[in-house]
Amino acid sequence: MPIIEILFYLFSGVLVLSALSVITVGNPIHAALFLILSFFSAACIWMLLQAEFLAITLVLVYVGAVMVLFLFVVMMLDVHVASVREGFARYLPAGVLVALAMAVQLFLVIWTRGMETMPMPAGEGDEYSHTSMIGELLYSEYLYAFEIAAVVLLVAIIAAIALTHRRRPETKHQDPARQVRVKRDERLRVVKMKSEGEEA
Amino acid sequence: MIDQLLTLIWTMTKIMIIILPVTIAVAYYTYFERKVLGYMHSRRGPNRVGPLGLLQPFADVFKMLFKELIVPTNANKFLFLLAPLLSLAPALAAWAVVPFDDWLVLADVDAGLLLILALTSMGVYGILLGGWASNSKYALIGGLRAAAQTVSYEIAMGFALVGVIVLAGTLNLTAIVEAQSGNIFTWYWLPLLPLFVIYFVSGVAETNRAPFDVAEGESEIVAGFHVEYSGAGFAVFFLAEYANMILISALASLLFMGGWLSPFSGIPVVGDTFLGEGGVHWFLLKTAVFCFLFLWFRATFPRYRYDQIMRLGWKVFIPITIVWIMVAGVFRVMGWFGG
Amino acid sequence: MQAVTRYLRSLMLLELFRGLAVTWRMGLAPKATLNYPDEHTPWSPRFRGLHALRRYPNGEERCIACKLCEAVCPALAITIESHNREDNTRRTTRYDIDLFKCIYCGFCEESCPVDSIVLTDVGEYHMEHKSEKVVDKQQLLAIGDRYEESIAANRARDARYR
Repeated sequence: MPIIEILFYLFSGVLVLSALSVITVGNPIHAALFLILSFFSAACIWMLLQAEFLAITLVLVYVGAVMVLFLFVVMMLDVHVASVREGFARYLPAGVLVALAMAVQLFLVIWTRGMETMPMPAGEGDEYSHTSMIGELLYSEYLYAFEIAAVVLLVAIIAAIALTHRRRPETKHQDPARQVRVKRDERLRVVKMKSEGEEA
Repeated sequence: MIDQLLTLIWTMTKIMIIILPVTIAVAYYTYFERKVLGYMHSRRGPNRVGPLGLLQPFADVFKMLFKELIVPTNANKFLFLLAPLLSLAPALAAWAVVPFDDWLVLADVDAGLLLILALTSMGVYGILLGGWASNSKYALIGGLRAAAQTVSYEIAMGFALVGVIVLAGTLNLTAIVEAQSGNIFTWYWLPLLPLFVIYFVSGVAETNRAPFDVAEGESEIVAGFHVEYSGAGFAVFFLAEYANMILISALASLLFMGGWLSPFSGIPVVGDTFLGEGGVHWFLLKTAVFCFLFLWFRATFPRYRYDQIMRLGWKVFIPITIVWIMVAGVFRVMGWFGG
Repeated sequence: MQAVTRYLRSLMLLELFRGLAVTWRMGLAPKATLNYPDEHTPWSPRFRGLHALRRYPNGEERCIACKLCEAVCPALAITIESHNREDNTRRTTRYDIDLFKCIYCGFCEESCPVDSIVLTDVGEYHMEHKSEKVVDKQQLLAIGDRYEESIAANRARDARYR
């Protein structure tokens, strides 16, 4: 299967390069775009492994929704590259520490499990459907994990709404419904008084 | 190796067989739009180029292609030129899994519906990046509006499709159409009427068409994300928008209106004649009707205010779809419609 | 209760369907637009367009250089110079109209005692150079020769109301 291999090395090459670019390019928009490219290449690799459901879901959720919002936010930031670089020396020790910890963890994982290569998944028959397989596994064997993940996400949603949905007194928010409903008495007070000429 | 090369060439040919008619359909869709809008405004529409103005799309295309492509100062040139292609590619790629008839489909993928959702959700990048790379306030605002709107309505749209998936029990588009077979009342528009309406309205919003066209908003932000585009770049954005509209129409007819199935099948007398047989012509006819709806909406409805668009998407559509997914689940469990 | 019925009615989108019906009706209604270069709206015989100088049927130019039009012209668009011809009649040597100054009021035509200067119903003309805005006597006579038929017909149609 030379074509599959060529495609695999192509996609993984793009994946590694774009992942490196995410942390090396200066412009945050470009970094976000490289992140999208690496997600996409990862999806392509999964597609080669015949995991089309997972691949498409990765594109749908991360490329189609999450990264759009991410870009959305990044675009509105006015990041000054120079001022970001100023703190480089100050944060260097902490950064090196985190990087070392991650490297050790990765090393431990590889050390315990070994570096054996996984075989390509065997081509199943036409009737074989990844989508229904995943569905069956999710709703039988991994039901608890699945439900707990759902609850965690729900909590996050509610927390986010609760944080943003408070009434802030300092905003000059207009309520068009109240403006439409306004009565004359609320705006206008007719005062009876003598005219100036009469007084004299 | 030779085998794989041949497969590649054969697939490329099939892709061209689908892409070319779609492109021509897009060209004539613009003509059709101008005609329909003209008639609904008591005008005549284009009728100068060729008989009945039928050569107008080609005149437009050549005009666009020969115009100068201006890249604004300080624009990000690479992204500026990439953005139109980013918006066009998903719109055309999605046609790979659209079945025109029960045998006429390029890729009969299991997760076809999901693939289409994923691809349509990627179309927003072209708009977002085009808006950002133009280095223009109007374009940026237009791009941000389009992104927020598309992401919001994608959720309602996805939920509307979940109803279809629940009833059909599959993500394969061909199988979804076959699950609807019977007569016109077993098509999913009837059991999923609210989802059908929401799907189509969300489709209008996803493609940034009137009355949801705040991303262009001529009266406020000139032309939105494509203010700075001229010539071929503008033409490609245009092409993508109309290809997306045709795609949404095709999906609406596949998912809710029985695709290539005939509306007369199952009806005693008429159903036994040639009218009762399904075929590509029914699919194209239904798609054309939905395409016409897009234009009819544009001729009729004034533009939504931006906050009202968000309100409609999040506070009206999403709750209704969630309720109706449960209703669809009840249908499924009781075995009332298909399944 | 009322709120509930109003909510349910809003879900039926009645107003939207009414709007769609309006545009549908308008789409089928006959169109008032004319295909302009091919079709024209009817023009009044009183239309005041491009100027012309007329001749008598025997070919003699009508203008007697009385300069009433020059005097009445509110925009000072007309310039006339005259001399006595060999047969001792007064004729113009120069009759220029500046089309950019002219406001097409038609006073020149009203003031002319011999119906020489007239405004034709030609409304579609253009010039490619700024200098062409001034039309001289020969051009005006040529215009008159060219459109004499329609000029006479329009005058005849309007004569009843004068």
